[in-house]
Amino acid sequence: MKKIICMLLIVLSVNTLSANEIDKIFRNTSHQHFLPCGDEVFLRRTFLVLTGRLPKSDKAVQFLQSVHPEKRTLLIDSLLDSDEYVRYMVMRWGDILRIKSEFPSNLWPNGVQAYNRWLYEQISTNVPYDTFVRNLLLSQGSNFRSPAVNFYRAFIKKTPENIYQNIQLLFLGERTTPFEGAACFDQISYKPTKEWKEEIIYLDYSKKPRKKTVKLSNNKSIQLQPGEDWRKQYTEWLTDKQNRRFAAVMANRLWYWVFGKGIVDEPDDWGVHNPPSNKALLEYLTDQFIASGYDTKALLKLILNSGIYQSSHAPAGFYIAQRLPAEVLIDALADLTGIADEYRSRVPEPFTFYPKGTRAIDVGDATVSSSALELFGRVSRDVSLESQRNNTLSARQLLYLMNARELEERIRKSNVLTELCKQEKDIPGVCRAITLMTLSRFPTDEEMLLYRQYAQKNKVSLRQLASDILWMQINSIEFLYNH
Amino acid sequence: MNIHPFFKTTVLLISMLMIFIAEDASARQAKSVILVYLDGGPSQTDTFDPKPDAGRDIYGNFKEVSVTNVPGIIIGSKLPLLAQMADKYSLIRSMTHGVNGHETGHYAMITGDLSGGDVVYPSYGAVVSYFKKDSYKGILPPYISITAANNRFNEGGFLGNRFKSFDTGGAPEKTTFEVEGIVNPFISAEKFNQRLQLLNAFENINPYFKTSAYKHAIDSMRQHNISFIFGEAGASFDLSKESKEVRERYGMHRTGQACLTARRLVEAGVPFINVRSTGWDTHKKGFQRLSDMLPELDQALSALIADLDERGLLESTIILCGGEFGRTPRVQWEAPWNGGRAHFGKAFSYLVAGGGFIPGKVIGKTDKTGEEIVERKVYPADLIGTVYLLMGIDPNGTLPHITAGSLPVLPSLGKEGQSNGLLYELIKP
Repeated sequence: MKKIICMLLIVLSVNTLSANEIDKIFRNTSHQHFLPCGDEVFLRRTFLVLTGRLPKSDKAVQFLQSVHPEKRTLLIDSLLDSDEYVRYMVMRWGDILRIKSEFPSNLWPNGVQAYNRWLYEQISTNVPYDTFVRNLLLSQGSNFRSPAVNFYRAFIKKTPENIYQNIQLLFLGERTTPFEGAACFDQISYKPTKEWKEEIIYLDYSKKPRKKTVKLSNNKSIQLQPGEDWRKQYTEWLTDKQNRRFAAVMANRLWYWVFGKGIVDEPDDWGVHNPPSNKALLEYLTDQFIASGYDTKALLKLILNSGIYQSSHAPAGFYIAQRLPAEVLIDALADLTGIADEYRSRVPEPFTFYPKGTRAIDVGDATVSSSALELFGRVSRDVSLESQRNNTLSARQLLYLMNARELEERIRKSNVLTELCKQEKDIPGVCRAITLMTLSRFPTDEEMLLYRQYAQKNKVSLRQLASDILWMQINSIEFLYNH
Repeated sequence: MNIHPFFKTTVLLISMLMIFIAEDASARQAKSVILVYLDGGPSQTDTFDPKPDAGRDIYGNFKEVSVTNVPGIIIGSKLPLLAQMADKYSLIRSMTHGVNGHETGHYAMITGDLSGGDVVYPSYGAVVSYFKKDSYKGILPPYISITAANNRFNEGGFLGNRFKSFDTGGAPEKTTFEVEGIVNPFISAEKFNQRLQLLNAFENINPYFKTSAYKHAIDSMRQHNISFIFGEAGASFDLSKESKEVRERYGMHRTGQACLTARRLVEAGVPFINVRSTGWDTHKKGFQRLSDMLPELDQALSALIADLDERGLLESTIILCGGEFGRTPRVQWEAPWNGGRAHFGKAFSYLVAGGGFIPGKVIGKTDKTGEEIVERKVYPADLIGTVYLLMGIDPNGTLPHITAGSLPVLPSLGKEGQSNGLLYELIKP
């Protein structure tokens, strides 16, 4: 009885702590009750969602032991302000902007680097989303010096139609779009310089508009005048507050990045054929996003502070457990063993090696890869669809984790494990340390007993025990999924 | 309604004939493809299209040729073993796509797509594994690369990751071929089982997933993998099961043992095997490098063809050998090349054997220097389409696409300047 009351109290306190407008909308639209998640789940989930990393053990302990009443909100804030958040966002944007040296984007390494650096700056200063899109679409100049112009280079065929289609997909979620608006991109021209793979993107003002009046997707029209940058008219229309779809698509994309499922799902397939699962919620998020001045971090804060986000994984809660994305998983394996893969670019020759310890998240170029990244469905950046990232766990991926020689070698040689054994000296200490770094929580009593029995029965050394437990935990469902 | 008896009999006869043809076609259908891919672009002038009369600027350091056992066919001097068995394969000397960049040449040669559209096509290995997904029941993945696919573009294309190649990793020429995930010398079966027991016990008391739907699905995948590791799958890669004579016949080097592995995978029913040999981008000191590389290829490829033939598997196995393009017939003698050849997508060669291809023929012809095709251009889509045809895949069929609904298997097939017709002249009647 005491236990039940305690649990009830926890449920209530968590609910009152984090219930916000999002939860009210949920309560009004469905009568489902969602079980809140524990601190350890919140910690791991939030680190993974915002930074694509597991929390370091000391950070985890600090958070788990903190009695600060607003520690969850504080964690969200500090992670949103972290460098890791920016890097992870650069990767997500790089996926849909198709940043890649070779086929099919053919941006080449210099362009890729400049483009990534530009994205990094935009995201680290939290440039409002509408400004960001304007910066991107109104860019001109050298792909090295005005890196946003790489947007206009990442096409096999750099036709106004392909460019327009991509813009409509990215910012309005339109998979099929009438081509009339392509006329706004007719002036875009390209010329090489003497610098290798440098390209100037400029506007050919001598062009006459195909049509004076161009009809755009919400039945609005814009006028194209000779001698003006026609992209301006389009971009103004696109990013106007009246164009609610523009804000809604990004708000929904952020929701998708957090939950792995959009309110409109897939998040890049909008239209009457695919209505939102919760219209009121989508409207609310869109309003909030516009009212905040298109502030990405503010919207993420709102979402992450909701009870919906801070609920357990389905079916008890709302959150859907998702397999760790390829880069996140590969980086986690590198952190846990202390031995990272090396990445290299095959263009231009001679090969360029990335600095040792470069994280998969930071590679920034889909041409640069590894067998393991490919295996876990690293995005190839061929198309601007979120669905190109496939986080379904397959038997082949499990095979790698269970029995890859390469991974086993890293576990064996791991200095992280060796050091940890020296420091902890005994079975409970080692088990606790590994569980903290791998699963971001303390081991349960039941688990401790299991480990002790395992060590005894199989007569393993402390270091061998460390290897076995790490192998076991990285093969566990709890590790493989963000839940 | 009255039907004339003659008409009835004719219909009956025709339908019987059709059934007979259909059965005959499926009986003859190729079951596997082995692509011996010479990554980097092999020189056709030094291999399958020698020009001994074109002067030293063309033939370079290899003036000698090998006269084959088929009258009228000569090949490079560094391929003496293949020369003795030219009646077992055919040569296409008029491959062309005109692309001179590695990644784009590779894309063209491995997808057949020259349309320049805004869609990334899957490689033919991925397409074969897509079409064989229901009929192929083997435990091994349907598309395997030894030791790794090129990965210079997304080989799954718009079909997605599921159809990408399984990269073996490891080195087949070593004592133990450590196939990633399958053969792991660091872990004994005993240790593996201990850990599995620990994992199962952990999952059963896990506070978050012990009763979840995930658990059942993942358990069954683990079970599948365990039978994979300890069952026939591992055995297919275990070259110690081959006699010393067989292993040495293929050659105790990467290409040789990779080809031997490919034969074992064919025996296991794997539909597409990519033996990827690297280092063919011979810009510099080409003749020196080819003098080392060609004898290995000669040994491996001739052993593969002969071995499959002796085992009665050649009729059901297509063998292809070539790269993403060829190399300039004209030698670059000057520094820094010092006798190398540059990329050449205009005219190059492919070897084809088995699986319903007519052997002992040469298709297509280049001019005196090898710089122009003078007879029967063959585009990537023509070759790949013919492979599909022999594998029982309709070259004019379609593939599912997420936004377009469906797209043609070979967008370039039948298009002027991107295709010149399937190689019916090379298909056995």
